Parts: sequence; structure tokens; C-alpha cells
Amino acid sequence: MTPPPECDPAEAAELAGAARSPEQAEAEPSDPAPAPTSRAGSWGAVFLSTATTVFLAELGDKTQLAALLLSAESGRPAVVFLGASLALICSSLVGVLLGRWLSTVMEPRQLEKAAGILMVALGLWLGRQAMLHLAPLSHQPLP
Amino acid sequence: MFALLASTFVTVFLAELGDKTQLAIVSISGTSSRPGAVFAGSAVALVLASLVGAAAGGSLSSVIPTDALQLAASVGFLVIGTRLILSSSRPIEETDNADAADGNPNP
Repeated sequence: MTPPPECDPAEAAELAGAARSPEQAEAEPSDPAPAPTSRAGSWGAVFLSTATTVFLAELGDKTQLAALLLSAESGRPAVVFLGASLALICSSLVGVLLGRWLSTVMEPRQLEKAAGILMVALGLWLGRQAMLHLAPLSHQPLP
Repeated sequence: MFALLASTFVTVFLAELGDKTQLAIVSISGTSSRPGAVFAGSAVALVLASLVGAAAGGSLSSVIPTDALQLAASVGFLVIGTRLILSSSRPIEETDNADAADGNPNP
């Protein structure tokens, strides 16, 4: 009956193509927000760096947990491990939430500086502990 | 069983509060725009580390050079901290208080 508007789709497509091809070529509509800051890094990079740092820092402390597991003479180390894992996950969640809260109440540069100083202090302390374990200082009289 | 679970949870949770790891997590998540990645990474690392510790039992330090690993971790802390301090003191618009960057001792 009514003939389909045969020239309309082609023209519309051509018009739309002419009008929108640079836009579509440049910006995918499925990518709503590019990374807001260049220092943010990708998800995987943040994940990996956090995991590596925390894993290395925490590995030495896990002897305490091992002692806990061994001393749990209940014969249920799986339960102890489950409880400990839940506690560790919750404590890291508390840390993340605390960091997000701090980032809302402090100025970013101020927070960066404070966090940097904290990390350097932790690094020095951790390094000192490790060095003392590796090469314990003996109390020699100074020459 | 529930009592054992609860007591383990409380013990480990209290021991981890204010730990160096948690301070590091606070620092990383406060200065990163991806809290989900920070949470996932730290949670996976903590569980993995405790799994390794539990698997090795009490003789972890004889299996793994934990002191050397902690030394590596301390270097990582220093690198992250130095990068944060440098990026916080990089002048964008305000260059007036750059003296706070290199804490020179005031008399």
C-alpha cells in the first residue's frame, strides 16, 4: 500500500553517517567516562600493585596466624582459617573505607603528602625490622 | 564451631586494626581513584599470605626468606611514599610553599 520510503533510509543513513561518523569513530557510546586522572592507572595495575605490596608486607606476620592454627587443638583448622580470612577481608575493607573517607575530608594534595610520609615511615620501620632480623646488631663497644 | 569461628575472627580482626598493612591500605585507597581494586587486591593478598603461612605451619621462615621479602616490601613502601610526596609537592598552581617538600629543619 504505502510504499516504504525507499530514499529516506539511505539518505538518512548517509546524512547520519556524514553527520555522525567522526563522533562515532572517536567516542564509543559504551565508554561513558574515560579515566579522570592520568595517575589513576588501570584496575589491573592498582590491583596488582596493592596485592604485591600487601602480600610481601604481610607474609612475615603470618607466622602468628600459623601459631594460632597450630595451637587450635580443636582439630578444625579450616574453621580457624575461615574466621581469620573473614577478619582479614573485613580489616582491609575498613582500611579502604577509611581511606575513601579521608579523601573526602582532606584536600587531595594534603592527603597525598600525609600518605606519602606515612608510607615512607612504614617503609623505614619495616626495613629496619627486616635488617635487624637479617643481621642482628650485637652490642659491641664503640672503638 | 561458631564460637571458634567468632573467637578467631575477633582475635585476628583486633590484631589487624592499626597494623602497618591497614595503614598502607588506607594510604593507597585514599590516594587512588579505584577503591574496588585496592580492596580486591588487599583482600586477595591477605588471604593468600595467611594461606601460605598456614600451609607452611610454624616453619615459614625456614621455607621462605621472609626477612628478605619484608625488605623488598619496605623498598616498595619507600617507592610508593616517595612518589606520593613528589606528586603532592609538584607545583600546579601554588608554588609558594614549596619549602615544605624537603623538610629543612627550622632553627
